[in-house]
Amino acid sequence: MSLLAVSGLTKRYRRGGGTVAAVDGVAFAIEPGETLALAGPSGSGKSTIARLVLRLTEPDAGTIQFEGADFRSLGGSALRARRARLQMVFQDPLAAFNPRATVARVLDDPLRIHGIASRTERPRRIAALLERVGLGADLAPRAIHEISGGQRQRVAIARAIATKPSLIVLDEAVSALDVSVRGRILDLLLDLQATERIAYLFISHDLGVVRAVAHRLVILDAGRVAESGDARAVIGNPQSAIGRALVAAAPRLNRTTAP
Amino acid sequence: MTALLSIRDLTVSYRGDGREVPALRGVSLEIEAGERLAIIGESGSGKSTLALAIAGLLARGARIGGAIEWAMPNLQMPHSFAPPSVLPDISPTRGEISSSVAGTSFSTSMIGESGNEKAISPLVGEMSGRTEGGAVERRPLHLGSAVPRLGRDIGFVFQDPSSSLDPVMPVGKQIAEVALTHLGLSWPQAYAHAKTLLERVRLPDPDASMRAYPHQLSGGQKQRVAIAAAIAAGPKLLIADEATSALDTIVQAEIVSLIRRLVAEDGMTLLFISHDIALAAELAERIAVFRYGELLELGTTAQIVNAPRHAYTRALLDAHLGLDAGPLRQAGAPA
Repeated sequence: MSLLAVSGLTKRYRRGGGTVAAVDGVAFAIEPGETLALAGPSGSGKSTIARLVLRLTEPDAGTIQFEGADFRSLGGSALRARRARLQMVFQDPLAAFNPRATVARVLDDPLRIHGIASRTERPRRIAALLERVGLGADLAPRAIHEISGGQRQRVAIARAIATKPSLIVLDEAVSALDVSVRGRILDLLLDLQATERIAYLFISHDLGVVRAVAHRLVILDAGRVAESGDARAVIGNPQSAIGRALVAAAPRLNRTTAP
Repeated sequence: MTALLSIRDLTVSYRGDGREVPALRGVSLEIEAGERLAIIGESGSGKSTLALAIAGLLARGARIGGAIEWAMPNLQMPHSFAPPSVLPDISPTRGEISSSVAGTSFSTSMIGESGNEKAISPLVGEMSGRTEGGAVERRPLHLGSAVPRLGRDIGFVFQDPSSSLDPVMPVGKQIAEVALTHLGLSWPQAYAHAKTLLERVRLPDPDASMRAYPHQLSGGQKQRVAIAAAIAAGPKLLIADEATSALDTIVQAEIVSLIRRLVAEDGMTLLFISHDIALAAELAERIAVFRYGELLELGTTAQIVNAPRHAYTRALLDAHLGLDAGPLRQAGAPA
């Protein structure tokens, strides 16, 4: 059974007297430990799908099966318990966190809310989480706004893995990072996947990044699935018009010497 | 090739938390007339500071040393600013500007009378003269020499068109005001010129677009409007500072192709500021690589991409994840 299976996923918004389907009958599945990428141009619905899967937005139609349960019908404590298994990292951690909170506070919240560690045990767990994402425990008392963008994204990942999730939604999670930082964050994500068997729903407009990390790829256009398949196969030989346009638009270095 | 401008030993620092934070350290380079030059770097490399310094847009309190010498044909004479050891510091006595040790400051920015200062406005540095509309030329306090004016001689395209366009003014009017301010046209002429520009940047339905407000346009369309405003007065130099970074890949490619076409058609010099070395390589003839406020190397695109001299440039090239790059891991079944 798939870890996550969505089908018929639909979300409409009112616009100018009519309705526009931001997401229109989308279906896909993610297996445990797998990276599925969603790619597409602005307005193709990829971030809306992230919000629907996370139940930050309620869909108008469709089913979401997560770890064998009907995720849409869950409520109260059952939803809270399941949410621990489904985490998220967004593009801009500064917008996702209270900027004045300390790193320790950001990591303490999930441990406390999900009852993962007792008050006395939490500082040790926070130090271990920081170490796991390649940060020193001395970062714990620092404010979120004081640390670098790369460090913040590592804290966001530490927060996401604090509740031992089976799936993390990564919405343009490396898009705002410098390329040198981006490579190290991608390495961390791959390492976590290999050791913890975490699956990723990896949302990106950048096919180069997708090709480097994703197993499978769904290309979206105007809220619908344009094509899907093995990531490298789709990028190597796109069949849809939007797939071809995305591939054609990706900047190429054309290096004549081997890196 | 002749140099459009020569930058010599340019140093810029900002004041933050009570200390001087250097943003550019002794940068020297020449921008050739008619070339497409890319400035590449990561956060904190100083690439945007360089763009702002050239455009005369540095924040008040920025401390500047070194010289930028212009060789634009329509200027009366080239200008330079120089450290106070050479020239007396005649910066205006603003409270926040201390008498300078490191150099002179872009301490004032006179704002044009046209009312579109929120848009691509005639913000001018303290060294600018003003000549538009037959107005009496106001001589700058500094050096008394003519320098290029932002809007007329230099077009500037920022990353976020939403913040460079006036949200409550139709875009046609915003572009027309640039033409009105700098070209000495009548309003009907300027308005007609704006429509021609919207056609040139390939906005769909230019008539309707003239009356559109920025919020009614997509991100890519807004950037087309910002580009139209930037080139409205026929500048010699077009500076694009991360102008495509907020756009998706497809729109980015369209905007890059638009910039390439406009620069060729109008014979402009292009300064393309980007964090993306592959994008820069597709557009530019030469690439300058910056890190921590220093110019590490400058060369033709082929030389930078295929034979970089600096290890950092190689690291940037290796970090690029193109469709031709190797995978970070073997594709295959999930772990």
